[in-house]
Amino acid sequence: MTTETKTEKWEPRIVALVCNWCTYAGADLAGISRLQYPPNVSLIRLPCSGRINPFYVVKALQHGVDGVLVSGCHPGECHYISGNLAARRKFAFLQNFLNYIGIEKDRAIFTWVSASEGEKFARVITEVTEKVRALGPATKLIKELDCV
Amino acid sequence: MNPIEEKIREEAKRLLDEKKVDVVIGYETGTLPLQTAPCFITSSDEIDRLVWNPCCKQNLAIYVHSALSQHRESQKRVKPEDKTDKVVAVVARGCTSRSLVIHLQEKQYNREDVVIIGIPCQGYIDKNKLEAGVDGLEVIAGSIDGDAVKVETSKGKTELSLIEVTADNCLECRFCNPVIHDFMAGEAIPAYESDDEFAVVDDFAALPEAERWAYFSAEMNKCMRCYACRNICPSCYCKVCFVDQSQPEWVGAGVNPSDNQVFQIMRMFHMAGRCVDCGSCVEVCAEGVDLRKFLKKLDKDDLDLYGHRAGAELDKEAPLSTFRENDEEAFIFEPE
Ligand code: SF4
Ligand code: SF4
Ligand code: FES
Repeated sequence: MTTETKTEKWEPRIVALVCNWCTYAGADLAGISRLQYPPNVSLIRLPCSGRINPFYVVKALQHGVDGVLVSGCHPGECHYISGNLAARRKFAFLQNFLNYIGIEKDRAIFTWVSASEGEKFARVITEVTEKVRALGPATKLIKELDCV
Repeated sequence: MNPIEEKIREEAKRLLDEKKVDVVIGYETGTLPLQTAPCFITSSDEIDRLVWNPCCKQNLAIYVHSALSQHRESQKRVKPEDKTDKVVAVVARGCTSRSLVIHLQEKQYNREDVVIIGIPCQGYIDKNKLEAGVDGLEVIAGSIDGDAVKVETSKGKTELSLIEVTADNCLECRFCNPVIHDFMAGEAIPAYESDDEFAVVDDFAALPEAERWAYFSAEMNKCMRCYACRNICPSCYCKVCFVDQSQPEWVGAGVNPSDNQVFQIMRMFHMAGRCVDCGSCVEVCAEGVDLRKFLKKLDKDDLDLYGHRAGAELDKEAPLSTFRENDEEAFIFEPE
């Protein structure tokens, strides 16, 4: 996935881990509203941002994605009351730590998008894609199978 | 025999003779010079094995956890009338007592299952510093005499000062006295005055990203994934560790450098708010991986973001066991 990506045609590949109740619904709304946003993001739907194991982010990067977006309900709006508040602490540690060991901050981005924010969802995807595009293809942490 | 050692033995003897505990976990002289090993004393005839000196390095809390959890496991299929209790006594310095606090907070056992023999601790000898002090030669014999460490190598005898070979984590430790104890084997002592505990983190964070990554990946390349660091860590007590899982296989079993990095990122991440900086993982690592530089970052974030120090207070919740509505969220991305 990663070796032949340094050509002109390289497009960032982004995985978005999103909560079922807000961000996924927000994505739906963006679709129903016919909003345009870049097709670089693959959504993975999870029950709640509290269910997102920080390991998912690390594994996605290991598998060669250029960026990971994590999005849940706004604080106070979590379907399970406080999943996102617990998640916020985990991700604060995670983003700091990944950056500390030298992984660019914009490779792992965290945000909140509610079910009524279809328009925000489209903007988030557009801006995140641009941020990751600016970084170029991911090179760190990737598991290159041929070097085994 | 130093006064602390004497008191440890006295207390161990009393506890065993009065049948207050089933086993005393402490340190005994090791088979190599300037080394000690953990020991498990079950009868008061053996208390003379117990020692206390700057060669006592390991955090013994992990053995308390395994003794108690194995006992609990063994009681599962026993008839109710035949069930027994097990009480463990442990020789605990500051960091060990903090690990015990973490176990208690995480409901691993009850406070009455463990008797804490508290020790005021001035630090232990760092194996890497000692090695550097004798130019990497093998230590054939060694002894500690006050503030001097006398070592003998194939090139002859030398003398090093104790403070020079004391581990970094000890020199910056703010918990020289146990945070909880049942008995103190000595007077409480003041902590070392360290101006900036987190200098190691700030210096590293000031490097350019590419250099940080180069350092991290070079360190992790040394790792042979023996998992000794995980095995010795008192906060790594899961029955099945993520590295051993195959469904899903979080960490590949091969020798891929990326799997080393992922293993360490996740092991360290699990230490967020749970690492007491005891240095045991650094001490057991045969490859000299600089784990502390990375672990200390989590420690710093824990303090900066949530005002918490791992295991410092029994009634203060760990950062990832709780949350506040107004937690720091500057890192949350908002589109323009
Ligand atoms: S003890 Fe050292 S070599 Fe062994 S797994 Fe830990 S870091 Fe790697
Ligand atoms: S990670 Fe290392 S320093 Fe931290 S508690 Fe575990 S063994 Fe001690
Ligand atoms: S349900 Fe959306 S973050 Fe918890």
